[in-house]
Amino acid sequence: MTPAPTPSAPSPLATLRATAKGYAPRVFQARGWAVAALVMVPVALSLLVYTVAHIKGAEGRPYPGEALKVFHEVLVKMMLPIMALVAAPAGIREDLEQRTLPLLLVRPAAVWAYPMGKGLPWFLWGAAWLVLGALGLQIIGGDPALLLGRIAALVGAWWGELALMTLVGLLFKRGTLWGALYFFLWEPFVRIFPPFLQRLTFTHYIESLAGSRAAEIQTNQLLAQEQVTTHPALALLILLVFGALCWALAGWKLHRTPIGLAGSEAEG
Amino acid sequence: MISLDRASLRYGPILGLSPTTFELPDGGGITGLLGPNGAGKSSLLQLISGLLPPSGGDVKVFGEAPFRNPAVLARLGLVPEGDRLPTGLRADRWLRMMGELSGLSGEPLKASMARALAIVGMADRAYLTFARMSKGMRQRIRLAQALLHEPQLLILDEPFNGLDPEARLTLMDLLRRLAEGGVRVLVSSHILGEVAQLTDRILLLFRGRLLAEGSVGEIRQLLDRHPVELRLTGEPQELARWAVEQPELAALRMEEGAIVVSVRSPRDILPRLQRAAAGGQLPLRALDPLDLNLDAVFQYLTKDHA
Repeated sequence: MTPAPTPSAPSPLATLRATAKGYAPRVFQARGWAVAALVMVPVALSLLVYTVAHIKGAEGRPYPGEALKVFHEVLVKMMLPIMALVAAPAGIREDLEQRTLPLLLVRPAAVWAYPMGKGLPWFLWGAAWLVLGALGLQIIGGDPALLLGRIAALVGAWWGELALMTLVGLLFKRGTLWGALYFFLWEPFVRIFPPFLQRLTFTHYIESLAGSRAAEIQTNQLLAQEQVTTHPALALLILLVFGALCWALAGWKLHRTPIGLAGSEAEG
Repeated sequence: MISLDRASLRYGPILGLSPTTFELPDGGGITGLLGPNGAGKSSLLQLISGLLPPSGGDVKVFGEAPFRNPAVLARLGLVPEGDRLPTGLRADRWLRMMGELSGLSGEPLKASMARALAIVGMADRAYLTFARMSKGMRQRIRLAQALLHEPQLLILDEPFNGLDPEARLTLMDLLRRLAEGGVRVLVSSHILGEVAQLTDRILLLFRGRLLAEGSVGEIRQLLDRHPVELRLTGEPQELARWAVEQPELAALRMEEGAIVVSVRSPRDILPRLQRAAAGGQLPLRALDPLDLNLDAVFQYLTKDHA
């Protein structure tokens, strides 16, 4: 066998495309269906309750705030973070833990593009189900005027949260734990945060895009601080830029970190 | 092709590889990297394959530092130790991705995949997922990914682990063919017999140090203080009489129809033995070196450093 002329290194775009395409089948496995279920199960349950009530002769229209409640209380506060916590470890972190990363690192490709390349199929998969979920909420009384805002909020936040969790997974050994602490300890404080800190939560930008429940709250739920809003277009831009920044930082971290055959422990 | 100049590797406070200097020339051939577990073989391979940068000194492959260097990585292939492959993927699709990440696309990629799969004998089974493959089949796929871009340097870390005897022979044959075709093959192993079947050129590592470099015979010659055992077959009495007159003799044992001698500096005594036998002064019918093999070399060297 005579060595052939050396192929040139693939461009970053080719690296992204190849990695995303190569790992896309992973989303059709158990973890991918778990991500889909996280969106669809609460929406389907709401639909079931609505259908049963309809059959039993209720007025035929759900409680007006039902769609809003499922969106804010279930999808945004619980399911979206759990989706990120479930999907992100299947990205580049998986190769690190399974010690298959060296097979990628010895390629002449752009190493910094790997985290985003592996994350893209998960983003697209999750986004598709989130759009379906948002459409499902319309059946139980979602306001059509807010549909686009809800979709943008869910998809934008999914982009940012998935990227953040990918970065955290590369920065910390127990990235999932730190992510869970952020989502379930820090984010709920948005209700009592001063305006500056409100802007350091996903909830703030999601509500800026999809509309807040502030008009519905009871006296005992009064905010401790003034609630601020960001223009929807700016909120979406911030989510997208934040996500892109996290992907870039994850790529930079991977490029800079020497990772040997034994995984992250073998940093030389 | 490969040049290390006092290259060392640390894992935090632990020294994985002491400052090491050696060169491997351009061109094909097989070099064995030998040493027991924990000797530093994987550390050395990780430096050469660009996975880790040296903690000290210089590593050059194709004249450049390999760490995150696409110009070097495009010309080398690595088969890491172990049976690790991404879960849930089909081998052919994964290979396609690896080819694309090596800069191949379109028809050249298809041709490379077909060629690499044919070389490893997996052309008709590449549609399987990794989970449905045997360990030997997965090892072949791991080798195929390293061959896709036709590397000039192929690095294999403990490639024979877990393979059945037939698969080992197949892999050895394949590596020989690649080396004959101009590929420089660097194989690590802790099993001396495997490397001895594959190559005569070895790098011997022990506890993070490069103990010796060269052919088995060359290394053995470095060990003049360790006697070499030779079996001389012929008339035992005559042979023993000749042997005790030699200053290099360390020990002598009589056997039926032969004697076994331990001699120092075999380079000095062997020509004399040859002349005496050729001149008819010595009734010698056969000469067998008993410990001129990799196991003996390895045991001598590691005993000194243990």
